[in-house]
Amino acid sequence: MSDEPSDATAAAEISEEAGLDGRLEAIQDSELAVVGIAVVGVLLFPLVFNNLLNGYTQLATLVLVWGIFALGFDILLGYTGLLSFGHALFWGGAAYAAGIFSASVSGQPVLVILFGTLIAVLLAWIIGFLSLRRGGIYFAILTLTFGQMAFYLSSSPLAFLTNGENGFTSVSIAPLFGVLDLHGSLGGPLAMLPGNTLYLFVGAVTVLTIALANRILNSPYGIVFKAIRENESRAEFVGLDVWRYKLMAFIISALFAGISGSLFAIEGNYVPLSSLYWTTSGEVVIMTVLGGVGSLFGPLFGAAVYLYIEFIVSGMDVVGPFWHLILGLVFVVVVVLFPDGIWGGVTAIRDYIGGERR
Amino acid sequence: MTVLQTDGLTKRFGGLTAVDEVDMSIDKGEGVSLIGPNGAGKSTFINLVTRRLEPSEGDIQFNEQSILGLDPHEVVQRGMSKSFQTASIFPDLSVEENAIIAALAAEHGSFRFNFLRHRNAYPEVTRVADEVLESVGLYEQRNATAKNLDYGNKRRLEIGIALAAEPDMLLMDEPTAGMSPEETESTVELIKEVKEELDLTFLLVEHDMEIVFDISDRIVVLNRGQVIAQGTPAEVQDDPAVQDAYLGGAEE
Repeated sequence: MSDEPSDATAAAEISEEAGLDGRLEAIQDSELAVVGIAVVGVLLFPLVFNNLLNGYTQLATLVLVWGIFALGFDILLGYTGLLSFGHALFWGGAAYAAGIFSASVSGQPVLVILFGTLIAVLLAWIIGFLSLRRGGIYFAILTLTFGQMAFYLSSSPLAFLTNGENGFTSVSIAPLFGVLDLHGSLGGPLAMLPGNTLYLFVGAVTVLTIALANRILNSPYGIVFKAIRENESRAEFVGLDVWRYKLMAFIISALFAGISGSLFAIEGNYVPLSSLYWTTSGEVVIMTVLGGVGSLFGPLFGAAVYLYIEFIVSGMDVVGPFWHLILGLVFVVVVVLFPDGIWGGVTAIRDYIGGERR
Repeated sequence: MTVLQTDGLTKRFGGLTAVDEVDMSIDKGEGVSLIGPNGAGKSTFINLVTRRLEPSEGDIQFNEQSILGLDPHEVVQRGMSKSFQTASIFPDLSVEENAIIAALAAEHGSFRFNFLRHRNAYPEVTRVADEVLESVGLYEQRNATAKNLDYGNKRRLEIGIALAAEPDMLLMDEPTAGMSPEETESTVELIKEVKEELDLTFLLVEHDMEIVFDISDRIVVLNRGQVIAQGTPAEVQDDPAVQDAYLGGAEE
């Protein structure tokens, strides 16, 4: 279409320039709102969880760690429509990388996270390059295969690095910026905050990753990912390099898995071999679907419900031994009633109430 | 200027030659229709030109450069857009988002490393998308979910997506298939308008002869993979070979 300067387009351009400030403000407003919700959520979560739901701070921390993993996984599964069964590779891989880095290079938490994440991204680049050649079930199986190969490698051939079956026990985390011991307690007025030092550190990272995910989903990538999910061949025929965008979706999801895996190593001071096992890949799929694919906050709720059943319900009298069954039932009920997961259910109820008022 | 040119384009599937040494050229601003009985090789020809299929022999030039070896999305980036036989849209997205995807691809090329920039930082993309929706008459419905449009409007949106790429040439594969007579009429009007307005070059594959004779400058007739006739609608209509092969000898 030629850009003939017709009156209509000129007028439109003028009004656009005038509206640009407003537009930028609107972006900042909406992003601030998301960050605000995330901050409030992170601060309120341990209060509700510990006081009303029999939870404890360590588990709340674990919920956020897994929540970050599921949040990134949703960019791949919910937005781009690609089901990977091998994300344990990036999560566990980052955890091992972070652990080994902390033991032999530096225990600085920020550097540890950066290194673990970098390794996850590099691994995703290679694995994505190889696996994305095939779609659908073949992609799922290829990623699963690569994940299991990594599990095998760390169990024996690479045991000199990973400590094999025993897991990596030499994680050594230094105080944050040299002053704040993450596994210690906070002094002064900061002690008023809910949770503990480690929880607040993980919470801060969580808020940052939510802001990052929100920005990515509102960038051109967000809409391109959805286009690929909706109609891949059409996306190709509007001139998009579908393959490279899919690879980016894969790498971005691994970036979040990397942040999460590194935090997991910091949180537990230990990396179990099971972090690379295929069940880890399955857990993140269940958390994401349970919470709600294609939503920003949904996967965090999925992680919370999953871990709550695994750690709290499993310790209850009578029903405790049946927690796997309960998890399965919850999953089935949620998915049947709300195909868009817990988050989809929340929005459906909100719309229903809102609709009645109108 | 020649927009599309094929030289000895051939595609064989095993023993079957679906497209047999086709030489075709389309000039800028020309509206050409490709017709022929079922199995004549029309779809194969389109798939070769859009690079979905690899030719067995021959060359395809687009804007006077060979496009052999390019990926489909690269051909689109060179300015060849395609509207599909079925309403190939992004069903769960809004009408405007459908157009934005196409405008993004046109404005930004096939790939950019901009996942940290907010979409609102690109007002140009929204402007192009809205212009396209205006021109296909869907601007009022831009906030509707695409799958909720009626069939005729879905096809209009499909054509809009193809136009948002600001193509030098538009390939249309039976754009009125499955439409009601009214929808067909409005789509034909739309194609005429767009051709007039944008000086659009198009290659149309269509079964409905009324439409073909109505909107084509030139018609190419394919039978068993070969071009058996071409010319203005009137010339083709009178060609005995065409009547034989395609119209089934409709004369008494």
